[in-house]
Amino acid sequence: MWDQMLLGIQTAFTLQNMLFAALGCFIGTIIGMLPGLGPMSVVAIMIPVSIQIGDPSTTLILLAGVYYGAIFGGSTSSILINAPGEAAVVATSFDGYPMTRKGQAGKALTIAAISSFAGGTIGAILLMGFAPALASFAILFWSAEYFALMLVGLSAVAAFAGKGKVLKALMMTLLGLMLATVGESSLFNAPRFTLGLLDLQSGIHFVTLAMGLFAVPEAFFLALDVLRGKKGGSKEAREISNLRINVKEAKTIAPVIGRQSIQGFLIGVMPGAGATIASFLGYAVERNLAKPEERKEFGEGSIKGLAAPETANNAASTGSFVPLLTLGIPGSGTTAILLGALIALNLQPGPLLLQDRPEVFWSVIFSMYFGNVILLILNLPLVPYIAKILAVPRTYLIPFVLFFAMAGAYIGQNNATELLLLLGFGVFAILMRFADYPLPPMLIGFVLGQLFEDNFGRAIRNANGIQFIWERPMTLILIVSAAVFIIYPLLRDWMANKRK
Amino acid sequence: MREEVFSRLLIPFFFIMLSINRWIALGMLAFSSGYGYLSFTYRILPFEQFLAMKPNTLPIGLALAGMVCSVALLLTPDGQSSSSTEENKVIGSDQKYLESPENYEWGKGIGLLILAVIYALSLRQAGFLIATSLFLSIGGLMLGERKIWILLPVSCAASFLVWYLVDEVLSIFMRPWPMIFYQ
Repeated sequence: MWDQMLLGIQTAFTLQNMLFAALGCFIGTIIGMLPGLGPMSVVAIMIPVSIQIGDPSTTLILLAGVYYGAIFGGSTSSILINAPGEAAVVATSFDGYPMTRKGQAGKALTIAAISSFAGGTIGAILLMGFAPALASFAILFWSAEYFALMLVGLSAVAAFAGKGKVLKALMMTLLGLMLATVGESSLFNAPRFTLGLLDLQSGIHFVTLAMGLFAVPEAFFLALDVLRGKKGGSKEAREISNLRINVKEAKTIAPVIGRQSIQGFLIGVMPGAGATIASFLGYAVERNLAKPEERKEFGEGSIKGLAAPETANNAASTGSFVPLLTLGIPGSGTTAILLGALIALNLQPGPLLLQDRPEVFWSVIFSMYFGNVILLILNLPLVPYIAKILAVPRTYLIPFVLFFAMAGAYIGQNNATELLLLLGFGVFAILMRFADYPLPPMLIGFVLGQLFEDNFGRAIRNANGIQFIWERPMTLILIVSAAVFIIYPLLRDWMANKRK
Repeated sequence: MREEVFSRLLIPFFFIMLSINRWIALGMLAFSSGYGYLSFTYRILPFEQFLAMKPNTLPIGLALAGMVCSVALLLTPDGQSSSSTEENKVIGSDQKYLESPENYEWGKGIGLLILAVIYALSLRQAGFLIATSLFLSIGGLMLGERKIWILLPVSCAASFLVWYLVDEVLSIFMRPWPMIFYQ
């Protein structure tokens, strides 16, 4: 075992592999910032180039670097312009963007960079220590447990249901779930609710909805206030590029990072769960654990609310390598593409990989430490410059934000209908914001809706009824947890209000 | 003059908007009912008849929940909104735009959305480079930018850069020139 690990260290820390890990992180971060190009697209794009390298370890090290670089890159557009281009970074915008609106963009990007680094590094340590054991735990999760896990993920909407907006948050979640049923589904044979439109056959695309709900209203409201924005002076510019976090803030986020690294990693290990569920769940759990005065800040620019999903999604992307490398099961779209790359290189991931090609297995794991350090070194010095995007005059910034959002939906599809749909969602979101409806629950419902229905359907078919809910202990525990996550904070707020 | 236009034309409109919560709840009810109608009338394939979970099982549940929820929203007093809570004051609620509409540039906001629709419709015909350069330039001019000698080159350069990155570097096809060149 130790010999194999040493072999892995030797392979990972050759100059060539270190350079490729750094290159992967850099490319992933830059391309990941573009909405519409999430980790899966970026890794897919890089495959033809990386396979040319020939060496399986180097190829996998490069692609792994691209993967976690893209996850981090996606959080930048979420934080700065409220444009989450990937489902895994939606939860980052919940508190990251309010921090930007408060003039703390630099701080938000720094917290995101540190949380990503910590999540990725702790994830790599757990991967090294527990990969084979966790692989057998992951396959204990069946559809019933996944369905229950989706319910726990959906409980994140409770974070937006406070302050007298319970019904509104619930309605928005239902709308998101309804939109998720449009188009083809893996469970059924014909597309549903397409209204005869060919463009809706494959369903509503995540980027179209996310950009419509978040980025379009942002551009609209900035345009309403365009004259005020012009007065922003050098003091404001200094403030947004200030990346310092004080000791108190560091102490506040440290336990969050610790908890979410482990929780995110464990969720990432389960095939099909991945970084998106991990980030929503991380957000929900931390909100429930927060003190009442801290809980009020969630959704309004809480540093805990930013650190939790950022740590969890990076830890989960590391965790998703467990089923890939140890069982040959791709847990997500991105790892499925990585599996394809490995097969193209004549490698068969699975239990025999560790035995036959230990240098590949361990070098990928060790390169993750290096990759995470590179990500931090690469990103922290860039934070002030990235944050200065916000100091660009609004007459330039606003059309660019709108263009950036529309380009995300247009890239790869060349379909103008997608853009019209995006603008339609944008107008809807503007009206909803006037009426004080929370928009994140709609996106949470949409993202988890498809998985929710697929797993619920499979669980019902397997059990021929809903008795799986009480027959499978893990399912029952998760469903009860989801109910507690939703009901308890509401009950607590209600009691507190009554006491006043 | 501007205030006068606002008081004559827009303020009655905003009186209607005062009950925006009700209008939206009504819209949600209509949407849920329409979705429910489509779910109930969904044609299930013969071999799906005996499935434990049919293609319209969850949609029917969602539609019913949506209808109940929107009726509840419709009956809830308007005071449910949270714009006056302490927490929201930190970043400011979006209802402030309706409370004092004369302080904001509505023409610019709505104009930008219309420009975006024109951009979406013209992308296919005009090609990515021309449509995007024009969208960014006209958008900037509309919002009050007067230095067109800076705006135009910046818009053209940005369009070219995005196209180059996507089409040439990443090999994701994006038609650069007007449709006419490809016929």
